[in-house]
Amino acid sequence: MSVIAFILLGSVVLLPAAALMALRWAASSGQFRCPDKAALLPFDEVEPVGLETDRILGGNRR
Amino acid sequence: MIKQSQTLRALLPGDALTGGGTDVGNKAALSEIDASCRVPVLFFFLSGLAWLLAGTVLALVASIKLHTPGFLASWEWLTFSNVRTAHLNTVIYGFASQISVGVTIWLMCRLCRIPLVAPGLITVANLFYNIGVTVGVGGILIGDSTAIEWLEMPRYATPILFISYALIAVWTIVTFRLRAERHLYVSQWYLLAAVLWFPWLYGTAQVMLLIEPVRGVVQASVNWWFAHNVLGLWFTPIGLASIYYFIPKVIGRPIHSYYLSVLGFWSLALFYNWNGMHHLVGGPLPSWMITVSIVASVMMLIPVITVAINHHFTMLGHFGKLKYSPTLRFMVFGAVSYTLASLQGVASALRSVSEVTHFTHHTIAHAHLGMYAFFTMVMFGAMYYILPRITQREWPSNGLISLHFWGVALGIALYVVPMSIMGFIQGTMLNDAAVRFLDVVQFTLPWLKLRTLAGLLLAAGHGAFVINVGWLLVRMFEPYRKPVVRILTGEAETVAAAKLP
Repeated sequence: MSVIAFILLGSVVLLPAAALMALRWAASSGQFRCPDKAALLPFDEVEPVGLETDRILGGNRR
Repeated sequence: MIKQSQTLRALLPGDALTGGGTDVGNKAALSEIDASCRVPVLFFFLSGLAWLLAGTVLALVASIKLHTPGFLASWEWLTFSNVRTAHLNTVIYGFASQISVGVTIWLMCRLCRIPLVAPGLITVANLFYNIGVTVGVGGILIGDSTAIEWLEMPRYATPILFISYALIAVWTIVTFRLRAERHLYVSQWYLLAAVLWFPWLYGTAQVMLLIEPVRGVVQASVNWWFAHNVLGLWFTPIGLASIYYFIPKVIGRPIHSYYLSVLGFWSLALFYNWNGMHHLVGGPLPSWMITVSIVASVMMLIPVITVAINHHFTMLGHFGKLKYSPTLRFMVFGAVSYTLASLQGVASALRSVSEVTHFTHHTIAHAHLGMYAFFTMVMFGAMYYILPRITQREWPSNGLISLHFWGVALGIALYVVPMSIMGFIQGTMLNDAAVRFLDVVQFTLPWLKLRTLAGLLLAAGHGAFVINVGWLLVRMFEPYRKPVVRILTGEAETVAAAKLP
């Protein structure tokens, strides 16, 4: 029973604490500050916004 | 000089073809990331696909046995209970989880903008993983199943899998810590959460159900807490992470609203893990537990609607691109199915609906809508994007791509729609005391034959995909300048305007 008690206690205390810490870290490190910048993260100079990257028969098109 | 398609130009390292340019360094960096992922991602993809084929065969055998019980009846290790359970475990742990890890590795490296770190760690994880699944599925087939749904693998197999999950989690954290891009994309939130949630789910369920088992209704509640969260906290985040990356990437347009995507992530994290108890409506649990679970299930409308709005408005004006991109086809099919599966799940959680649909084929249809029409389709789409980049070869056959898509799209539609309808009628009949049980069973027979037909279509699609992947791998060993497929030759220009059928 002790192992289960440990798991339950750990789940109840540690997981919400971890979630709160993640939220706090995200807020303090500016993760929520520039949504427009964050939305552009999949893109870069090689594959910028406006470039289709999966035209199987047509190749890349701007 | 042989004309190369523009797609391949973007994939090849540095100035291999162009002879130089302003973005050569960036191209080389991107190419280095893809090349660094090649071996581990291929390991996960190929072993996942091998398990997909095994799972497909097991599914067909189980499906045939439902309407023709004498099929393979003389093989004791192929009884329905063994085959059905082995099917579930091969596709969940062997196929879906391994493809998930492969996609996670590639996405993390791309979004962190660093080449793969600690490849040895991830290779050992893959080795442990496949040994674990082989031992586990073998154990099920010889009759060692634990009979706990979604945790049927015997106790001697699961520690091996747990080690693998833990190694994958460690690798993801290491990659995250070493990232070159400080800002996080929403896909990374989903991926990080998934790789941390799953070992916790799996470890907790193992201890509470197998190592030091709890008894009575607590066992059922832990069981469904785990089983439902495998879908919601492991597969769903990875599926959504993929959609949020690949749809913008393919169409070349950022997601409609980044705020909505973050809201969707945090509301999923808040509400999903309360959902599992709605599977026990009518069971001997305190009613408040089930009620809380039903409320949380309805609250899931928040992340589901935010995701649906975001995907739809991102795609708005770009639906014509479905003709050209297999990745986009599979992703959009999966995204729409996610919304449908979630809405069906919310409805099924309500007591009035669950009283009819529980213990019927409606639940099976719902599980396949979520796990296949949503998640598996998204993973297929991701593999269509990733494999050419890590192998630096284009897909050899567009015909096989089309056969794959239409086989699985029609197959899963033929599976889910009739089974959902049949399950509802079956539940109504079961609740009617005037209807004999045998009549209910006989009513299901034609529908079950239709299900086998759907399974054959899915199998044809899987076969086409595996052949195309095998062909692609063969092309890896040929020099890329060789005109191995027609779109890399001059002929490509004449077929460039053609569309996928």
